[in-house]
Amino acid sequence: MKKPRLFNLFLAVNGLLLGLLIMLPILALLLASSPVEIMKLLVDPEVLTATWITLLSSFCALPLMFLLGLPSAYGLARCRGRLRRSLEVLLELPMVMPPVVAGLALLLAFGRRGLFGELFSNLGIRVTFTLGAVVLGIVFIVTPFFVRRCTVLFDGVDKKLEEAALILGATPWQAFLYVVLPVVKRGLFAELIMAVAQSVGLFGAIVMFAGNLPGRTQTLSLAIYSSFESDPQQAFALGTLLLLISLLLLAAVHMLAPRDRRL
Amino acid sequence: MSGLNCVVHSPLAHFKLDLELSVEPGITILLGPNGAGKSSFLRLLSGLTQPSSGLIKLGERTLFDSANGIDLPPEQRRIGMVFQDLALFPHLNVNGNIGFGMKVRGSGRVERQKRTAHLLDILNIAHLAERSVTSLSGGERQKVALARSLTTDPELLLLDEPTAALDPTARGEIRDWLRSVLVKLNIPTLLVTHEVEEVAYFRKRVAVIERGQIVQHGSFHQLLSEPTTEFIAQVVGVNYIPGEVTEVAGKQVFRSKGGLTFIAPFEQVKPGPACLTIYPWDVAVYRNLPEGSPRNHLHGRVKDVVLRGDRVRMTLVAEDKLVAELSVRGYQALGEPQPGARLWAVFKARESRIENFQE
Repeated sequence: MKKPRLFNLFLAVNGLLLGLLIMLPILALLLASSPVEIMKLLVDPEVLTATWITLLSSFCALPLMFLLGLPSAYGLARCRGRLRRSLEVLLELPMVMPPVVAGLALLLAFGRRGLFGELFSNLGIRVTFTLGAVVLGIVFIVTPFFVRRCTVLFDGVDKKLEEAALILGATPWQAFLYVVLPVVKRGLFAELIMAVAQSVGLFGAIVMFAGNLPGRTQTLSLAIYSSFESDPQQAFALGTLLLLISLLLLAAVHMLAPRDRRL
Repeated sequence: MSGLNCVVHSPLAHFKLDLELSVEPGITILLGPNGAGKSSFLRLLSGLTQPSSGLIKLGERTLFDSANGIDLPPEQRRIGMVFQDLALFPHLNVNGNIGFGMKVRGSGRVERQKRTAHLLDILNIAHLAERSVTSLSGGERQKVALARSLTTDPELLLLDEPTAALDPTARGEIRDWLRSVLVKLNIPTLLVTHEVEEVAYFRKRVAVIERGQIVQHGSFHQLLSEPTTEFIAQVVGVNYIPGEVTEVAGKQVFRSKGGLTFIAPFEQVKPGPACLTIYPWDVAVYRNLPEGSPRNHLHGRVKDVVLRGDRVRMTLVAEDKLVAELSVRGYQALGEPQPGARLWAVFKARESRIENFQE
């Protein structure tokens, strides 16, 4: 047998350590609660409401993200050079912003005493501390990630396909709808589920901008935070529940995502 | 007046595209080395990019006119184009690909099916209708791409290196198929290629492009007799022997202008002026004429020997001139003949091609 080289050994040990770092906390969480406790949660009206708000806000944010993000991603994929780099930096801004700071910023823009607060209150719209705020917070945080990943998808579409469609008489709209979108369809579905998975777990921005009001803006993440102070055991069970939802979504992403044949 | 007439000026990365070209019904070949601006030119014609100035007219319609600010978008130009890499839609099957142009123009499902079926029939590919385009062979993909470009009744057909991506066997088949289809259609067609072989095969009007300019434009025969640049001179590397087809005792033979007699596949040739072509790599060279050889031969003097990569090109001159191309090993086996040596050049009748002059 060939003697393993030191470098390969180093890589393997390194990978093992990282794997442990990921798996140990997950294992700890799963061990902290029992299936019975989780089943009990599923009949608790407060938990059900929080779950409902979590899923409702995520799925409400989805069409907004899609309508706003998809054309942006496509436009960005067609940009080149300096313009593209500048736009990408703009997109990275919300990505590197600490979530709590993002929540503050949203509050200052759309809150009652914020930049547009007066405008909104004159129109009779209150954003903060409503489900709308949860949705807006999700759109603000998650859309840049969605756009970024969709840009990669669109970059992968051969430009010639679109040109062939144009020469065959398609308008640019038709070329986009009948050629580009169907070609990235699978990847796009995967990205949408990924966006939901990301939305489900948001915390910082939501707690600042939408508040932690049970029955109105309290999502599962916020419920975990609240119950951790009064009843840690319930927090563990809730955490496991949220983790299971995320795992389901992750599994769906991987079933849909186009596989890279080179790997 | 049908056909394409254009004058375009457009800066490219390393030189400027300055082209004036007309394409009449039938095939015109645009020949040029790689990077001469051929594909850029096709993109300008189809409207995917804009020339900095110029005029493009197709029949009576003006597609582009910088003086009057006219610039039709690609979808209104009615030009059919087959890309070098074909760009078939991977998410549609053969029917879907071919029907695409009709669908976006708003024709109904029934009409689409009828026309697609008709077209598949004409092109002899009806058996491919339900196949996924990713499962097709190179030649089949080429056929589907052409079929797709024909559905919109194009007034001009642009074919970008239609056989370049194929393996040699498929290449011959696709060429034969293309020629028969294009003759049937008689649409003004611009076939772009960098391969001399292609020009020798189609023998139509040829425009030669180098560094963004048309350096020669005329019939295949003009190109052979008066090459104006070194690149074109390579075209002459295809052996081209002018002469006449006559009947001797009820059998057709070809008599070259130099006075030699050759036989060739005569199926589609009438007695009269004709020319015979043979690729240099189909010409074999011997010190002594092989016994009982029924093949065409010429006993000549070596005029020059040129080493090109691992191939050797030798020009033999007698009553006519023949260029032979052989491997270095073959050349060494002959004892590395030098200019002045006398050798036999031999080629098989069925590897030569003969055609009546068509000026």
